[in-house]
Amino acid sequence: MSNTNEILERLTTESYEYGFVTDIEMDIAPKGLNEEIVRFISHEKNEPDWLLQWRLKGLHHFQKSEMPHWQNFRMPEIDFQSISYYAAPAKKTKLNSLDDVDPELLATFEKLGIPINEQKALTGVAVDVVFDSVSVKTTFREKLQELGIIFCSFSEAVREYPGLVKKYLGSVVPYTDNVFAALNAAVASDGSFAYIPKGVRCPMELSTYFRINAQNTGQFERTLIIADEGSYVSYLEGCTAPMRDENQLHAAVVELIALGNAEIKYSTVQNWYPGDKEGKGGIYNFVTKRGICKGTNSKISWTQVETGSAITWKYPSVILRGDNSTGEFYSVALTKNRQIADTGTKMYHIGRNTRSRIISKGISAGHGSNSYRGLVQVGAGAENARNFTQCDSLLIGDECGAHTFPYIEAKNNSAIVEHEATTSKIGEDQIFYLKQRGIDTEKAVALIVNGYAKEVLNQLPMEFAVEAQKLLAISLEGSVG
Amino acid sequence: MISRDIDTLYDQFIADFETKSVLMADEPDNVREFRRHSFEHFRLLGFPSVKNEEWRYTHIAPFLREVYSTSSEKPGSLDQSFLSSLQIRSLDGIRILLFNGKYLPEFSELPPDSGIHVSALTGAYQERLVSDYLGKIADASKNHFVALNSALFEDGLFIRVQDGRRIERPLHVIHVFSSESNMFVQPRHLFVVGKASEVSLVESFLNFKNEAEIFINDVSEIEVGSDARVQHYTIHGGCENARYIHHTEVRQAERSVYNNYKASFPGPAFLRNNLNVSLNGENIESHLYGLYLAGGRQVVDNHTIVDHLKPNCQSNELYKGVIKDEASGIFNGKIYVRKDAQKTNAFQKNNNLMLGKKAIVDSKPQLEIFADDVKCSHGSTVGQFNEEALFYLKSRGIGEERAKALLIHAFAYDVLEKMPLASVKSHINKLIDEGLKT
Repeated sequence: MSNTNEILERLTTESYEYGFVTDIEMDIAPKGLNEEIVRFISHEKNEPDWLLQWRLKGLHHFQKSEMPHWQNFRMPEIDFQSISYYAAPAKKTKLNSLDDVDPELLATFEKLGIPINEQKALTGVAVDVVFDSVSVKTTFREKLQELGIIFCSFSEAVREYPGLVKKYLGSVVPYTDNVFAALNAAVASDGSFAYIPKGVRCPMELSTYFRINAQNTGQFERTLIIADEGSYVSYLEGCTAPMRDENQLHAAVVELIALGNAEIKYSTVQNWYPGDKEGKGGIYNFVTKRGICKGTNSKISWTQVETGSAITWKYPSVILRGDNSTGEFYSVALTKNRQIADTGTKMYHIGRNTRSRIISKGISAGHGSNSYRGLVQVGAGAENARNFTQCDSLLIGDECGAHTFPYIEAKNNSAIVEHEATTSKIGEDQIFYLKQRGIDTEKAVALIVNGYAKEVLNQLPMEFAVEAQKLLAISLEGSVG
Repeated sequence: MISRDIDTLYDQFIADFETKSVLMADEPDNVREFRRHSFEHFRLLGFPSVKNEEWRYTHIAPFLREVYSTSSEKPGSLDQSFLSSLQIRSLDGIRILLFNGKYLPEFSELPPDSGIHVSALTGAYQERLVSDYLGKIADASKNHFVALNSALFEDGLFIRVQDGRRIERPLHVIHVFSSESNMFVQPRHLFVVGKASEVSLVESFLNFKNEAEIFINDVSEIEVGSDARVQHYTIHGGCENARYIHHTEVRQAERSVYNNYKASFPGPAFLRNNLNVSLNGENIESHLYGLYLAGGRQVVDNHTIVDHLKPNCQSNELYKGVIKDEASGIFNGKIYVRKDAQKTNAFQKNNNLMLGKKAIVDSKPQLEIFADDVKCSHGSTVGQFNEEALFYLKSRGIGEERAKALLIHAFAYDVLEKMPLASVKSHINKLIDEGLKT
């Protein structure tokens, strides 16, 4: 046991791997949220007037809204006036080649293991890199363009494809949706935009890497992905942030639109700074993610591995509007130290013969608290809707908590909805078995947890599955005593 | 029927308390204090709206818009044939009759056993147990209707089972509600089951069809002593003009067993069952079984809370709903496992058979776990008849109607088989058949 305690001691004091700060010249807007700053952001990005007006509507809605109180954690006080809403690396010339990128920035991403350099890049992954408020580089753009695929930063999309942006922006997550969606609409700085034309199967994984660097800022990116009829795209996002004592807010909005026969697969490996073991610092990850299966036979699949953030609060959802459409949600959420996760999904069955599948695996360790909250709603017209939900919770240590709040609402008598949930402690006999084979407790736990999460990790593209597995193992280190 | 704002009813109760406190002046100080205290809670809470998470799926307002009189009627003469019609065949229970929430000893059987005491609650204020437990088990500070009942209850039952007694015959408590004009009635009951004793309690709820709407807001508090065993059945039937908020709050001491069996049938327009069990000791077992058959435009809502406070306890919950026509079936089950409650096993399941084209099912099971050495699970399903099973029966020459009825009985069987009293089981089976015909 003393050995385990030493490991515990060492690892809990060991720092978050990505906690460094890049010293880079930044343009940072003054703190505070008001019309002026919204106009400033819009002006800085040369946005058309309709977008500015939309932002202002978002701002006004935000100012009218109250903070929600139904969540399963104590809402931290967020002073929206002490946040700076825009931070960008100072260099503003258009980047055509890597030589134009600030070497400091390049080094940052190298350190994070994110391939900006196409030669060194993993083949088959195109990356859009977002540093604080702006996108710094999108790789493989030209190659994708040959197929008619648009993959660029959100600001570029506003300039170059205003028609598409105007048509779909806010169509799935309107600014009235919730208080953070309103805030995002007002101050969204950048994000990724992807459009897959009719009948095209995107040959590589599209990916966005988010990095918060500046102090006293928040990150409010906006991602919009449109899969036109018969197309397919797999999209990934990853994120890290430096270690800081104060909490930083990340309030993003992701909108997915799948037209007839299209499929979107959206994967997240979330590793924002979780705060230290006393719960000091860390990111508040309050994100609104929603997709709509607009056409018949369309499919949207969310996969998330959540290991970071002080508080993770999000419900990636699918509106199953088209007949025969499918929604999926696969999630692994790990909380340790003082981390909190209140996450899950919503599946709205509207069309006929729609199907949804939810697999959620929560792991709570230390003083972590993990909640699954899910809604399966079958509308009166949704003939033959089918849902299967499974959510399991694994408890490691006696100070943590696991909670399950599923909501099932059926208004059509042809619906078949199944929900099951289990909560249990990590199996002593399994650990014993592995120890017997010469595997130490720490590794045994990692092995068991990986086995437990396998069903979800299998949904990730290969490189990321390996990455996520490592991430889970690292995050768990020190939680066994 | 005159429709009005529910605020009017709220105002009526506020005014009622003023007048009633004069009438209640002869009650003991502790009871008056309890009423006053609870009234303050109600005054702040008012009636719940769908914005309240506990009432999210249950729109209560339409049922509170009627003009209700808050004083209940006395019974006319009750003849023998009427009384025997209330019996459950071959139950051989000790009959305890309540009319509009008032205990009628003249129509009840006096307990043959000295180990058991039955009286009107208001007549038992001098009993130490009443002052010890009344209002101590059901918390009026958070629940709108418990607060209202605690402030303004009229009367009800007080039953006490002495320590170490095993009551052979089940107690059959029959609640009859009847009124010529709209009535809002608030019965209050207290059951104290002594240490190492054993008792079966069967409660039937009935009303008769007429023009008058009856709103029943009753609260029962049940204290289960250590090593005691309680089998508790409630059967809600009756007619459309009844609306129920039926609140039961149970507190169990170490090594006790409390089993609750609920069955409800088409009839009352509205039925809300709250069943809260708190496992306040080690090595406790609690089993909650429920069967609800809802028809017409009925709203049937079952809310349960199982609160594990201490280690080494077990709880098991199974609620099954058959929702016909345009009825709504709502289920919310919460399991709490507190930090101290290590080695808890807690299971919960809700299955719904959705038959009506316009039926609605809302199910919300819920687990909240703060201990780590536990085994907990819950499940919830919504579905229809198994086509293959139906086909199988039809291919054997069983008509569709009969085949469906068979499958519903089979569906209900999982709950019924848990009931130790065969007479109650067959009574419920009969009610299922009647319920399917309506």
